[in-house]
Amino acid sequence: MAAKKHAHKKCISVFKKLSEYIDGELDEKTYEEMRVHIKECVKCEVCLEMLRRTVDLCSNMKMLRVPDRLREQLKLMVHGPSNP
Amino acid sequence: MPKNPERRTIIDEDAGLIKAINSGRKTLFYDLVKKYEQKLYNFGLRMCNEPRDAEDMVQDTFLNVYKYLADFRYEASFKNWLYRIASFACIKKKRKSKFAPQKEISLEDFIPEDKENIPDSLPDWASEPLEKVLNDELSENIRKSILSLPEKYRIVLVLRDIEGFDTKETAQILNIKPANVKVRLHRARLFLKEKLKGYFKDGS
Repeated sequence: MAAKKHAHKKCISVFKKLSEYIDGELDEKTYEEMRVHIKECVKCEVCLEMLRRTVDLCSNMKMLRVPDRLREQLKLMVHGPSNP
Repeated sequence: MPKNPERRTIIDEDAGLIKAINSGRKTLFYDLVKKYEQKLYNFGLRMCNEPRDAEDMVQDTFLNVYKYLADFRYEASFKNWLYRIASFACIKKKRKSKFAPQKEISLEDFIPEDKENIPDSLPDWASEPLEKVLNDELSENIRKSILSLPEKYRIVLVLRDIEGFDTKETAQILNIKPANVKVRLHRARLFLKEKLKGYFKDGS
């Protein structure tokens, strides 16, 4: 059975602005129009949540510690070889 | 008080330290290094394919900061200025490598079609806490996916979504228009979402 066509005009216009929606960078009118559409369109809601989770995953990535070798080189750069 | 009221200066948490360094207490520069070395190194790891390149970038950046610190005018925060130098060092490093294709990412490539079968309900992972799902395997997957982004998209994604700069700051750091930051960020996020599709399907 054919799935309900998702790529219609409104969905595409929502899709193009999903990042600005997530970042709160839209004017109030556009934001509200998108919010109403997303509430009614599960496929757009899924797209939004997948993108939101992608952003959240990036923001929460663990930081690695600086290798000792680099730390020593930086110390040497500032203090020179004579200081501990 | 600024001598020239027309010149925009901003309040900077590092200003006191920078003034002390510029007044001759050069060894205090190491306090700046200690404060930012880990953030810069991790920024380098996201931008460079080799950890050794990330190390070189950190060194080059601090050397340039040291060299030009006396010229710092407080028109941007020190952190933004630091990332501007670091971003330039990353781009320069990349251009030195043999092949650095600047591929364009098209929005049209990501517009979902019927055949793609977007789920009709939110999958279970949507309610899972991040710390539960962000394990080492997924972190590695994200790291590789970010590295596979063409550079001009990658640098925007890293500055915005990992380093936490806003659109305006990112535009200033990269010397591009805020509208370009938004366009590149959206495409980079869609690219990454596509790469992580398997994870989204399985939810783990």
